[in-house]
Amino acid sequence: MNDRDFAGQTAIVGVGSSDFAELYRSPDPERTGEALATEAIAAAIADAGLAKPQIDGLITGGLAHYEPVAYRTGLTNVRFVADYPQAGRMCATALMHAAAAVYHGLADYVVLFNSVAFRSQGVKFGAQAQGLLYDTLYGMASPGAQYSLAFTRYQAEYGGTEEQLGAIPVAIRSHARMTPGAIMQAEMTIDDYLAARYIAQPLRLFDYCLVNDGAVAYVVTTAERARDLARPPVLIAGTAGRANFREWYVDLGFWDQACRSMKTDLFDPLGVAANDIDCLQVYDNFSVAVLWGLEGFGFAPRGQGLEWVQGGRITLGGELPVNTSGGMLSESYLQGWNQHAEAVRQLRGQAGERQIPDCNWSLYWCLSALPGASLLCRDGLL
Amino acid sequence: MSGASGYAKPLPTVTHEDREFWAAARRHRFVLPKCRACGHVWFPPYASCPSCLSFDRGWTEASGRGRVWGFTIMRQPYIPSFEPELPYNVVLVELEEGPMVYSNLVGIDNGDIVCGLAVKAVFEDATDEITLIKFRPA
Repeated sequence: MNDRDFAGQTAIVGVGSSDFAELYRSPDPERTGEALATEAIAAAIADAGLAKPQIDGLITGGLAHYEPVAYRTGLTNVRFVADYPQAGRMCATALMHAAAAVYHGLADYVVLFNSVAFRSQGVKFGAQAQGLLYDTLYGMASPGAQYSLAFTRYQAEYGGTEEQLGAIPVAIRSHARMTPGAIMQAEMTIDDYLAARYIAQPLRLFDYCLVNDGAVAYVVTTAERARDLARPPVLIAGTAGRANFREWYVDLGFWDQACRSMKTDLFDPLGVAANDIDCLQVYDNFSVAVLWGLEGFGFAPRGQGLEWVQGGRITLGGELPVNTSGGMLSESYLQGWNQHAEAVRQLRGQAGERQIPDCNWSLYWCLSALPGASLLCRDGLL
Repeated sequence: MSGASGYAKPLPTVTHEDREFWAAARRHRFVLPKCRACGHVWFPPYASCPSCLSFDRGWTEASGRGRVWGFTIMRQPYIPSFEPELPYNVVLVELEEGPMVYSNLVGIDNGDIVCGLAVKAVFEDATDEITLIKFRPA
């Protein structure tokens, strides 16, 4: 959805989120994925200032099926349902479908959520079955190893050091330390980053996102209805997707084509340029995914992203703050959903000491087998 | 996974789609599916051509030559049976015929692996039934 008529016609009007740090400190197996989803849904509906019977659309993520949550939340007026598999990459897709649903009148108020109980369920992101290319026969295991393998290629083509890469997790950690509810609150220097163990060399522990429990929910409706609600509307300026269906998972061009296509879809109809973007709230499953998105979306010159992120450029107060609540590397692995929650806070002016002055535009991307992106903005800009 | 051979690492679950691939590997031959309708060569051995969707699948002998696209050095015991080999390499090899395959590089120190390295397939008998295709510097 990226045409000029659609842009800004829908909005996020409510957000609900778990306290990730509290769940991390005190894992509670009784707070199941369904229970966490219920808490987030209730919070999102309350944040929007809506009554539950007004919710008539439901999009679920992270759970095996929509029915358990639909029953326990007593959503009796639903006329639009979509159900996404447990996969981190689905956030922009879920937002796309929620926006399309309300834009076309399939529902008036869609609640959508992602709920995960990875930590309490002991979920491992290692060797899952044999892999599509017989991965495990050769000891290939974990998404991180695939990104690591791509980073060796990136370094061979463009150079750059592991120390330079460390600037990304270090910047994002500094943001988590300013975020109530973020899991990783300890200070991290570049020396701390370099001293951490390799997981799949050349990637180290802090190049990897967290694994934790939690849920995030949003309410989406039309911009017209949004203007009658409790909070300042955060407009959905556009969403985009570009599949990268390959058995080896990483893109051989570091997602350059996917990013360029999604940027064209999002920016061109609106006349938006890279320098209009006030913050990036992006999918940092691994530090390198931030690097490649910065290049693909044209913020950093191709092959020069590692130099570009040095010197505080992506830290709050810098030219383009990235993941201002700590992202998945340091806040919470809610798979893009905590990033959009932070985008909403920034665009509403609710980000406290992290608030970016005059924050008008926030961009999200996820580089995976199903790359997705979204562009959010304050009301009155479209 | 440990069989009578004593091989403790993961072995493939052979299916109707890849039985011929593994049978060829057992004879130390590296074959790839090739579409009789459009000539496309693909991997892994799906029963149908990912390009034209034809089920008229033939096989072609791979040269065994390729280049290392990228590599990683595994440093954590994700797979318990690989733990004694840590740190070990995993490479993504771009075959001369086009397909990409994961494998291990043998006959080279991990520190000497570079992207773009020319490599040649070698056959490692794992069990009486399964032979793995690995690579060495060409």
